[in-house]
Amino acid sequence: MSTALLPVQDGAVLDVPLRQRVERVAAVAAEHAADTDRDAVFPVAALAELRATGLLGLLVPIEYGGLGGGIGDVIDAAIQLGRTDMSVAMIFAMHCQQVAAVVGHAGPRLRAELLPQIAAGAVYLASVTTEAGKGGHLLSAESALAASADELVIDRFAPIVTGGAHADGFLITMRSPDATSPNQVSLVYAHRDQLEITGSGDWQPMGMRASHSLPLRLTGHVPGHQVVGEHGEFPKIAMEVFGPLAHLGWSASWLGTASGALSRVLKLLRGKDGRARFDLGSELLLSRLSRARQRLDAVHALLRHTQHLVTSSADLSTPPNQLLLNALKITASEQCHAAVEDLIDLVGLRHGYLKDSPTRLELALRDLRSAALNYGNDRLHLADGRLALLDPEVRFV
Amino acid sequence: MHAQFVDLLMPFLKFVGSNEITEDSRLRDLGLDSMQSIELLFAIEDTFGISLPDEDLTDTTFATAGSLWAAMQRATDQLAAA
Repeated sequence: MSTALLPVQDGAVLDVPLRQRVERVAAVAAEHAADTDRDAVFPVAALAELRATGLLGLLVPIEYGGLGGGIGDVIDAAIQLGRTDMSVAMIFAMHCQQVAAVVGHAGPRLRAELLPQIAAGAVYLASVTTEAGKGGHLLSAESALAASADELVIDRFAPIVTGGAHADGFLITMRSPDATSPNQVSLVYAHRDQLEITGSGDWQPMGMRASHSLPLRLTGHVPGHQVVGEHGEFPKIAMEVFGPLAHLGWSASWLGTASGALSRVLKLLRGKDGRARFDLGSELLLSRLSRARQRLDAVHALLRHTQHLVTSSADLSTPPNQLLLNALKITASEQCHAAVEDLIDLVGLRHGYLKDSPTRLELALRDLRSAALNYGNDRLHLADGRLALLDPEVRFV
Repeated sequence: MHAQFVDLLMPFLKFVGSNEITEDSRLRDLGLDSMQSIELLFAIEDTFGISLPDEDLTDTTFATAGSLWAAMQRATDQLAAA
């Protein structure tokens, strides 16, 4: 088994605390955030720093040259990055979700080939799990893998791939070879140079503009061992890895963004100019501050509780466990957005609505508006209603 | 597996085609999704007069016809013992 040296040289990598690595990325992200938002382009400088700091390999075990971090580290990092740039935080969290799938479910050969490269910062992973016509439903696939000899043939259109233009590798869901139903879905890894990638379309969203998500068509051949997990076993990976890490990682990113917004507002209010401009004795101001902070404390508590569940539960598929995971996503998406709304009312037009305010509330609100739509809350409520019927005793976990 | 159980499963397995349902039949592959699982559960309760205990409401239970049947057998045994 090969182990690659991390790009942060001299083997001292593991002596550098996670927080310092993330600070480096956040500093670069902060420098470019206004530009990437204005131009709706991928944060290439922040990605370069994620590579250089070894953070792309945060979840890669130490034996493969990674940082050997866990889910709690991903959450800490996503909160910290989210305070500066929600797009960067989400890009990072989603990459970690892909890495976790490789670590947990790839065969020994693919692990040995791929994990050292991720640890070395050479592979940023994008996810190709959406498909035209299935509305983000993860567990069915229309495009089928063809298997010939020991090779898998990929031909896949995806309506939205975050970071697809910059990813070095892709985890792709496709209908399994010889599948008799669209519910038999496999997850396959393909390196960029194994694929022909054609993309088109303009990316002009309201917020999350730096997440640069485009429709792509991927075609190519990969060796048979690049299937992640057994053929047809993607539902298991979705249940054990993709679902939990998506909800934890997104919620952490949103919490970070709302926390950063609150922090900047508090610093504005407490500054000399702020104290002159705002009446800090105003009951309305104090109540609004309280409300915003309360929302974030509630999300944080729910996030940490769900983290504990995910790291301690033997089976996440039970209705109470699924309900908690979904409640985290729904609650975080609503409350983080609502907290920024509170803050905008609190500081008013000048600092709440104008782009050039140091509070950056305008950007935070636009970014956080995507949270309820990203794997839509309406759909999760539908699932939760049915799950609630499966738990008539109302057991909490 | 009981023939009545197999008959009960059929409407939930839209991809079963002409295949026979065996203990190894993978329910999800054959069309059962999480949304339908609850309706299947109600059908089992109504037809067999048993209800699966909370701890059995997992993906593992609903993985194959055989695993679901085994959980039903356990519930039946518990009912008989009570």
